[in-house]
Amino acid sequence: MQLDSAPRPAPVRARLRAAACLLLASSIPGARAAAAATTQFDASGLLYGELDRAKVVEPTLRVMRLLDNGQSFSAGLVLDAITGASPSGAMPTGRAMTTTSASGTVTNHAPGEIPTSPFSDFRGALELGWHQPLGGIVATDLVTHYSREKDYQSIGGTAALSLDLMQRLTSVTVGGGYDYDNVFPVNGVPVGLSPVVAGTGGPPDEGPTNASAVTAAAATGGTSAAVKQVPSAVVGVSRILTRRWMVSLNASRIVQRGYLTEPYKIVSVIDPDSGTTVGSITEQRPTTRDRRDLLANSVYHFGTGVFYSSYRYYWDDWGVRSHTIDLKYRRDLAEETFFQPHVRLYAQTAADFFRFGVVQGEPLPTYASSDYRLGPLRSVTLGGTYGFHVPDYPGELTVRAEYILQWGDGHPSDAVGVQRTLDLMPPLHIATVMVGYTRTF
Amino acid sequence: MKAPAVRDSGAPSLRRVDDYFVGTFMAMASPCELLLDTDDWDDARAALERVHGEAARIEATFSRYLDGNVVHRINHSAGRPVEVDAETASLIDYAATCWEASGGLFDITSGALRRVWKFDGGDRVPSHEALAATLRNVGWHRVTWHSPVLTLPAGMEIDLGGIGKEYAVDRAASLVAAGTRAPFLVNFGGDLFASGARRGGATWSVGIDDPEHTGAAALYRIDFDRGGLATSGDARRYVMWQGRRLGHILDPRTGWPVSGAPRSITVLATTCVEAGTLSTLAYLQGAAARDFLDGQGVRFWIL
Amino acid sequence: MMTRSRVLWLLLLTLLAPLVGGCAATSVKPWDRDLLAQKSMRFVPLPMESAIDQHIYFSKEGSMGGQEAGGGGCGCN
Repeated sequence: MQLDSAPRPAPVRARLRAAACLLLASSIPGARAAAAATTQFDASGLLYGELDRAKVVEPTLRVMRLLDNGQSFSAGLVLDAITGASPSGAMPTGRAMTTTSASGTVTNHAPGEIPTSPFSDFRGALELGWHQPLGGIVATDLVTHYSREKDYQSIGGTAALSLDLMQRLTSVTVGGGYDYDNVFPVNGVPVGLSPVVAGTGGPPDEGPTNASAVTAAAATGGTSAAVKQVPSAVVGVSRILTRRWMVSLNASRIVQRGYLTEPYKIVSVIDPDSGTTVGSITEQRPTTRDRRDLLANSVYHFGTGVFYSSYRYYWDDWGVRSHTIDLKYRRDLAEETFFQPHVRLYAQTAADFFRFGVVQGEPLPTYASSDYRLGPLRSVTLGGTYGFHVPDYPGELTVRAEYILQWGDGHPSDAVGVQRTLDLMPPLHIATVMVGYTRTF
Repeated sequence: MKAPAVRDSGAPSLRRVDDYFVGTFMAMASPCELLLDTDDWDDARAALERVHGEAARIEATFSRYLDGNVVHRINHSAGRPVEVDAETASLIDYAATCWEASGGLFDITSGALRRVWKFDGGDRVPSHEALAATLRNVGWHRVTWHSPVLTLPAGMEIDLGGIGKEYAVDRAASLVAAGTRAPFLVNFGGDLFASGARRGGATWSVGIDDPEHTGAAALYRIDFDRGGLATSGDARRYVMWQGRRLGHILDPRTGWPVSGAPRSITVLATTCVEAGTLSTLAYLQGAAARDFLDGQGVRFWIL
Repeated sequence: MMTRSRVLWLLLLTLLAPLVGGCAATSVKPWDRDLLAQKSMRFVPLPMESAIDQHIYFSKEGSMGGQEAGGGGCGCN
């Protein structure tokens, strides 16, 4: 083509304008609206270990897909593999004991050691969620879940409605849920407070692999499965107070109805003079439990980091009341990097029917449980999370290590005989390590 | 152009100035900003994310400094045909049209000349032989382009830097316009686009810096309500030759910087791409820049 | 004499009132929401961690409840 050395100032603009319009009008496949991240993938792995007791491995996967109209769908899968030993509810007797299980395993307990029994279980849970904005300030969330383990199945769902008021400074959420659970212990549902015949001397073992001794005691009961229904409701208000500070207050209520007893746990029958264990009976808990709590949350941005604090007061009609204080400080180090130390303090009162064994000869109470989780419990958690990302690789990683110490008032005033010399709720040491990965596409 | 104040990290930040929002970030080695005339913080945030995302995307896709993208593939194709995606094809189409309409002045293969020119304010100029050798690797007429396949002879390279930033401005602007009705202005290091008059009918007010004294008060104030604005000039990169300052824009036919061009040419056109091309073409006319722009029916400012 | 429940509900309402009401004077202007936009400014910034924690604590303790509705879905509480 001809190239002039001194191009005439022809109205080249018209051509350029047309060419530019053509360029900008051309569709660009693959270019999405920036930062409208449409898919989020989360994965985490938990390693949990109690000293001399249970160990858990728990991987979790979650995928969420966000659509342009604000709708989102999510699916999550949690798998739990638990092995180890769990306290059976039996009291320590102050002497070394040997127990054998129905399968022939021999366990030796040191004097004063809380009797436990081995168990293993595997649980899988699937959860599906849907979030739908309805107009500018209202949104709904629906979640449904299904979970299954060897002797337990749960199907349920929750629905929540949230409203953003005052230019999104205040948000109100109302939610409700319903769970329908089936309990089918190995060998059937035991009759409560009935004697448990030991396998071969000493307290019987418990747990799905060794449950025959406990649940066989209830063979005359004839029930193989039981039902538990759990409606729940929550109301919450959150408010942005200043540029740095937001707070929220939640109140929730959960009412459990049906079979609420632990089928494999026992209560020791104690000799009134010596305090040693002379037998065992199965547990019995009420068939309803009305549980309520108030939760106050605060998030405050200091500039270099964010301080999270929460306080929860819980109470129920079994007599359990608890206070929980949870504090975290997320210190931002660099872009997408942070360190977050964590402290949690917990204290609960015992359930009304919690007892360290029943005394032989005394009339049986209506309800009884020696499950330490319903006892006078305290716990402290100390831990930290480190969040980072690997340069040039997508996604963010978090690594968390925590130490939990759980103990209780193991010296009740009505301890009998040898029980006075023992700590009936010795400390439990727990360590957890968790690794998490999040990636947005 | 007054450089907007930005944080060092690439992440965008948003703040309120008077009665509008200013979002800022760094991209394409330039301070970038979005001015959005609204009171809705969420709208401003969303628009800023779109602008930042699009700037980052275009830089990643078309920067000749990054490995692995389509420009890198083309420049390392060693004479083999390269099939490009639809967006790259449309940019190459535009560049080809500009080459033809400008009589060969606007040429995206002229980047090879930077191998022999160093615009660092010193006085080194390439030898006649070096320049002649390099010129053999310059010239869009040597390229075979049948959309979407581009065949670049070995030794040649393309550089979309001449239209990349302006294109990014227009693309970012169309994304903002798709998400909000508020009037806005997108400014990537001096190449900008405004969508319309501000609330209340006021125009956008843009200052053009004295290229000699950046940081001093603006020399020109340009008031406009819609369109693309781009500036060509020799402000920072130049070479001294025989006592004369030569800008960094090279005439691909001779291999030498354009002589006699004004220090700074700013053009206002319908889109930023169009304004950028016109200002570059005007600059390439050298002393005839003003005459060139007079006949084009655009507003322009020459220093 | 008020029961414990009544006292607590009254406390809840007292705390709620300023949250839902609120004065225009302390209102946060839209352009001051820069910090609030950050990912860390959420009540639950790390939801996966939080869900795992909830599970750990309600299976090792006697309490449950908190952020969301739901019964737990397992035999451990």
